[in-house]
Amino acid sequence: MVSPPTNKQILEWGLTTCVDGACLAIKSYVGHAQALVRQGTRLLFVPQIISVSKKEYTCPNFLGLPDLLKQYVPRSVELLSPTLDARKSKVALNCSYLGFGLQFASINTVRRAWKMAVEAQHAWEQSLHKHLPAEDLLQILVLGPRYLTDDPFLNGNLRGHLANLGAQVYSASQVPDDLSLELSKSMDKRLFWSGTRQSMGALEHFIHQLDGVINVAPFGCGAESLVGVLISRRAREHQIAMLDLTIDEHTSEVGMVTRLEAFCDLLERKKSG
Amino acid sequence: MKVTFPHLGNAYIFIESLLQGFGHEPITPPQGTKRTLEWGSRHSPEETCLPFKTILGNMLEGVDLGANSVYMIGGWGPCRLGYYAEIQRIILQDLGKEIEFITLEVPQGNYHLAWQRLQKIVGSTEVKKLVQGCQLSWAKLKVLEDIEALALQVRPREKEAGSTSRCLQRQLQRLRQVDTIRSIQELKAQAEEELHDLVDTSSRTEVVRIGIVGEIYTVIEPFVNLQLEERLGYLGVEVVRTISLKHWIEEHIFKNALGLYSLRPLKRSASGYLRGFVGGHGLESVAHSVDLAQKDLAGIIHIFPLSCMPEIIAQGILPQVSEDKNIPILSLVVDEHAAETGFQTRLEAFVDLLQRRMRICP
Repeated sequence: MVSPPTNKQILEWGLTTCVDGACLAIKSYVGHAQALVRQGTRLLFVPQIISVSKKEYTCPNFLGLPDLLKQYVPRSVELLSPTLDARKSKVALNCSYLGFGLQFASINTVRRAWKMAVEAQHAWEQSLHKHLPAEDLLQILVLGPRYLTDDPFLNGNLRGHLANLGAQVYSASQVPDDLSLELSKSMDKRLFWSGTRQSMGALEHFIHQLDGVINVAPFGCGAESLVGVLISRRAREHQIAMLDLTIDEHTSEVGMVTRLEAFCDLLERKKSG
Repeated sequence: MKVTFPHLGNAYIFIESLLQGFGHEPITPPQGTKRTLEWGSRHSPEETCLPFKTILGNMLEGVDLGANSVYMIGGWGPCRLGYYAEIQRIILQDLGKEIEFITLEVPQGNYHLAWQRLQKIVGSTEVKKLVQGCQLSWAKLKVLEDIEALALQVRPREKEAGSTSRCLQRQLQRLRQVDTIRSIQELKAQAEEELHDLVDTSSRTEVVRIGIVGEIYTVIEPFVNLQLEERLGYLGVEVVRTISLKHWIEEHIFKNALGLYSLRPLKRSASGYLRGFVGGHGLESVAHSVDLAQKDLAGIIHIFPLSCMPEIIAQGILPQVSEDKNIPILSLVVDEHAAETGFQTRLEAFVDLLQRRMRICP
């Protein structure tokens, strides 16, 4: 069972139960868990994702997610939460997936399932890496945690609005991870959060073709608050306009559309000289 | 080199002495004021936490006093403290400050840079002098924390309000000046005697004991926690610290370097609540709360800066600890808009609640 796409009710459940300092993504996650519990789910898969790339972390919220969520679901609901940790190596990460599978099935079944999962993931990632045909549109890169940039409900349909305004939207997921790692090596200090490192890598990758960058950050995100400085600095060096969008549960779609329109107007004017 | 550094409570006494031992001239920034926060906030990204802003404010004030290099600790995550130094370096650079910014962190990969930094820190000082400098500053840190801990016990029991804080400040300023290990020991004995003399032995009022957990900077730095420990002391509360700089250095620097640092005791305490490290002091907050609940304390205060990710996780979990262990826990969040009056009211209400609770179920 998978929870439905985020909607008003789900977010409402998250907002009323989750600790108030948490970021929008975590609150909506708690809401999704509530939705599943209300549908009668008794077993939730909530992995503790410490790291997905060598020497990097996801973010502190992910490290404590299963323990935090436990506070908000009834005791009768069991949490399945394997620890997934790639800090040492990718191999260790894969082993932790396989080890988790072995709790439920025989080695052959687990291997088959693993192979299918890897292929599906690979195919999906490949489909993202396809490059869009270059058109004479505004070229805008949208950065930020994917829980926000890819969730039209939480980001107020950001991509849809940008498309309506005649912009070609790029995202960090279009850049393969090894390329992003390579590109972010030029930084003075390596970033230790995978998400923000991918943002910087994507910015480097697209930097010569961009008109503007939009950095979407959830309110109260520690990583984004610092990386915003690096992104705006790099964008300034290449004279790319940058828009900082901080999103929380009070963000109104109308206000955001106004900002996006103003931003695109500015880019148009700049482009036409 | 003229070196400036951020404040962390009274740790400047230790840092000054350490820098002198390394042959530098320490430029201690003034204690945090409104100006510190103004300068810091003006140049910081809006959403970073209060420690980032005050630390940047300290650096700017230090540079203003003539420092030509800044020392700051770094790290490798997942807490954003690890990236503070890099962003602060960039901000100072963009402001056109011509300073040497040295980040103190375990090198990861870039050993050449680490070696360069080390050479700059050590300079041409003889090994013997370095060792002496380290010994002296370490002794100061030990005595500093001992006297502070004693002051926490004395303050709620003092005869004359405010005498403990005055005595503590006087002794700390003396500690700042002394330069032999023997005089440090003498000073310690004298300070302890003076502090003991301040206690009102005839008083029969029962003192409430409250433990403090949370993010290390907000726990230790009085400027950002609005003098939490002093305020509680005046309300008749004995504060029990769970975090100390000395302990932090021993665990995270010495033991870590030798590969002896282990999270096991913390994990054991926090088991059932939090399974492991979440960055910063999140695990410590939960583990220490569980430990304190078993130590006959009246209550716990959990303090952290707004938007501190590890502590938000702890904040989400602590209500369960409070319920299971039957101990009241108050979570306090501070940012640059924290108002003294509101803060004081919340503390008074919490202490009232604890006092009443002690009377009803002693």
